Amino acid sequence: MTTDLRFRGAGPGRKAVVLLVELLLCAYALLVFYPLANMVLSSFRSTRDILRAPFALPTAFDLANYRAVWVDKGFGRYFLNSLWITATAMTLVLLLGSMAAYGVSRYKYRLSTLVYMLFLSGIMLPLKAAIIPLFILMKKLALVDKPLSVILIFVAMGLPSTVFILAGFMKSVPIDLEHAARIDGCNDWGIYRRIVMPVVAPAISLVTIYNAVPIWNDFFFPLVFLQSDKWKTLPVGLTSFFGQHSTNWSLLFTGLTIAVLPVLVLYLFMAKYFIRGMTAGAVK
Amino acid sequence: MTGKDARKGLWIAFFVLPGLAVVFTIILLPLFMSLFNSLFSWNQLLRGDFVGLGNFRKVFATEPYRTRFFNAIGNNLTWFLVTMLVQNSLGLFFGYLLSRRVPGHEFFKRVIFIPVLFSIVAVGFLWGLYLRPNGLFNGFLKLLGAGSLQRAWLGDENLATFSIIAVNIWRWVGFPSLVFLAAIDNVPVECLEAAYLDGAKEGTIFRRIILPLIVPSITVITVLTIIGSLNVFEQIFTMTGLDGSPNFSTDTIGTLFYRTAFGSVDSGNPEIGVGSAIGVVIYALTFGASILSIATLNRKEVEL
Amino acid sequence: MRFKRSALVLLLALLALGTLVAQTTTLNFWTWRPEDTDAYNKLIAVFEKANPGIDVVLTAQKNTEYNTILSAALAGGSGPDVFQSRAYGGLETFAQSGYMEPLEKWVPELKAFDKAPLRGATSIKDGKVYGVPFASQTLFIYYNKAIYKQLGLSVPETWDQFLANLQAMKKAGVLPLANGGKDGWTLEVLQGAICPNFYGANDFFDAVMTGKANFQDPRYVGAIAKLKELTPFMPDLFMGVSYTDMQSSFINELAGHFIGGSFEAGYFSAQNPKLEYDVFPAPVAKKGDKPFVSVYADGNFSMNAGSKNKDAAAKFLKFLAGKTTGDFFIKDLKQVSAVPGADTSTSPYIQKVLSLQKNNTPYIMLVGFRYQQPTGSVLLQAALQGFMAGKFDAAEVGRQVQEGLATWHAPFQKK
Repeated sequence: MTTDLRFRGAGPGRKAVVLLVELLLCAYALLVFYPLANMVLSSFRSTRDILRAPFALPTAFDLANYRAVWVDKGFGRYFLNSLWITATAMTLVLLLGSMAAYGVSRYKYRLSTLVYMLFLSGIMLPLKAAIIPLFILMKKLALVDKPLSVILIFVAMGLPSTVFILAGFMKSVPIDLEHAARIDGCNDWGIYRRIVMPVVAPAISLVTIYNAVPIWNDFFFPLVFLQSDKWKTLPVGLTSFFGQHSTNWSLLFTGLTIAVLPVLVLYLFMAKYFIRGMTAGAVK
Repeated sequence: MTGKDARKGLWIAFFVLPGLAVVFTIILLPLFMSLFNSLFSWNQLLRGDFVGLGNFRKVFATEPYRTRFFNAIGNNLTWFLVTMLVQNSLGLFFGYLLSRRVPGHEFFKRVIFIPVLFSIVAVGFLWGLYLRPNGLFNGFLKLLGAGSLQRAWLGDENLATFSIIAVNIWRWVGFPSLVFLAAIDNVPVECLEAAYLDGAKEGTIFRRIILPLIVPSITVITVLTIIGSLNVFEQIFTMTGLDGSPNFSTDTIGTLFYRTAFGSVDSGNPEIGVGSAIGVVIYALTFGASILSIATLNRKEVEL
Repeated sequence: MRFKRSALVLLLALLALGTLVAQTTTLNFWTWRPEDTDAYNKLIAVFEKANPGIDVVLTAQKNTEYNTILSAALAGGSGPDVFQSRAYGGLETFAQSGYMEPLEKWVPELKAFDKAPLRGATSIKDGKVYGVPFASQTLFIYYNKAIYKQLGLSVPETWDQFLANLQAMKKAGVLPLANGGKDGWTLEVLQGAICPNFYGANDFFDAVMTGKANFQDPRYVGAIAKLKELTPFMPDLFMGVSYTDMQSSFINELAGHFIGGSFEAGYFSAQNPKLEYDVFPAPVAKKGDKPFVSVYADGNFSMNAGSKNKDAAAKFLKFLAGKTTGDFFIKDLKQVSAVPGADTSTSPYIQKVLSLQKNNTPYIMLVGFRYQQPTGSVLLQAALQGFMAGKFDAAEVGRQVQEGLATWHAPFQKK
């Protein structure tokens, strides 16, 4: 394409620009991979070692730390808890969020803007600020120390941005598709499920990554609401490495490495759809 | 109301109510409760007498709350300005480069978003390690022969906030990059090719054609930056602590709120009334600023 | 007849079964010390062995989030049965809100405790005791014995001798002092260790508590100014040196001195068992003065006023006030237990600390000035960061602290 910034066949001036740009991008890529590598490598060293020489390479690659974290500290269970809590919350976010986005974008009625703004206000209101009323609420609903409490909180946190993004996409689905489906005898649910949702599929991957990552990494709400060891999630488990006067850096890095792996895998797997999702007329 | 309208109403309710119920119960209800809390005086964790706007007056007019509050707001403003100017410009720059399909763009597209995947704890820790006086960054400066530029990046009052913002930019620049990439890719290729063939220069094409057509994405990024700058908390908490160390130079209304409402070991017992008042101010500011920017930027939209 | 006998046998069997299926009470026990979980579980095992019907479940919360989580749990009506509570000002949050049970009648052992630790467990509002104190902490100076021997130095008594030792280390290329300024509380500890010998220890403390003097007093300002004399001996760019960095340089024998608290020792020994260290009290102004150390009660074990298992909780608290726990704190946690009569023979280090405690003064801000916001601690920490970085002078430190405290400290308001 003429608009491509290519290297071959370009004049010397342009070649220089491309080279410079490549250098910049490579430098940034290095800046991205170094901390990742650092974190993973540090998980094979002892705390004292890490503090003494933070950037040295590990002397041995034994998995003692991983065994200590996964088995002794119970991270195996925390990992599973994080997995199913995140998956459940994400499913609900996608389901309820897409339904709400549909209800707001595909119908014309007077209250539609108000409803849209109500959802949007959720983005602007930091939930942490209301933790004590929230706790009392959960207590009244008898959900304290039950996973449903944090699942509901995560869903509530994820809905506003999901509705915001998906409504934007759904608005651009041509009305003719809908008319054709109705003539074929589809009801509203059928249109939602068979026409609109498949069209906005690329946006789904965007919404998934955008919400799944903060949910997976959140430590505050599970810390407050899930007090029994059997329900704790991965980030909460990580807090046990922060002592009052000492930090177990070695196990902390091991825990962090374990925590970043699923997200990394999910991302690399979805990257293609995710990038396509952002590229498909997203921002309107 | 006709039968058709009634049926339509029921469908709307079906789609919208479940999500709305969750948002209302979990977000809006506690919000109103904390608004309620801000109108009372509190003795430790017990609610006292109704004081109306007394807590708000405390925040805006009495020491030390007043100095702390305006100092914090000032830092939030710094966050917003630097993030807008640096992060979003970089995002625009990267997005533009990637849309021009520089060699390796598929690879860079994926790499650029990876920092977003790290947990904030991991980011705060790793960069806290690199920014120590004898850490990687200072070591790197020494290597380049710029040893005199070494500083206590997180310990110097004049530099701490900027250091944390820099780390935050490292973390988030992938997001505006991909959003702008998407927006620029949406500009019809024929438009651009025609402009090139007419001999227009890069800069002109960017300024006159691309920029106006991507205003909606600029709006979204701006609004999200405003919301982000007003709510920033975890990044500061992990890198310099709850008290806005050193000497309140990294304090923002997020950390001020948390300290006041929940207390901390060093800074004292919770002041729920005043803390809730600060929380209400945060809500109001975020809401107001977002609405304002949406309204202003919507006017600048250009249709094709 | 047979029917009656079998009925009797059945009844007896049921009764026996009833007593066998003894009620197992579960007690939830919260602490803010994740690093001590294993040690505490060992202590709990001892208790459970002696009390078969009680099962204690320990949860260690992250220290910085502890207050928030506890507040949310107690305000929400759930919460642990027994929990660690902060001393002095931090006690009031839960005491005045009615979430803590007064313990005088449940744990009569408290009568035998010393007045100093009990002060941290007593509410200033109603004078009742709400916790069983568990440890006291002392502030002083650690030094690396090997480096001292290598350089032929002896333990300093006066300020000038201390500076001379620091200078000698600097000349020899050793980092004289590990302390830095990034974590504000480490600067408060620095003040707590060094300054009492310059501002007049207990006389000054009593004066500010009653309002006879304030923090702009030349005694206090002069004491703060002394801290600046230490900066040439701190690491380069010390304002960026965090607590972890400080610990790291001392443990790895890169630094010769570490000004800190009695809570450091356990970690030092655990990380580097070969480290040879000892402590001395902060130096005095002139020869012949008595050296004072700042001391404070670290925390207490308290009972939830809304607990459904108060009897079991009381049993556990009595155990925590007893000799076994006292010995455990000294031997396993290397902390100075508040329990009277605990066995110190297992730790020469603790014996040394106790001997230094003979000349004690309250750790001024933590003990006297954390009752309301802004606390003396947070005011001092921020001011010291500005002062040590060279932004303003010691008089300004005094002024900031005084101005902030005057907003709530009653004796300062009678003007």
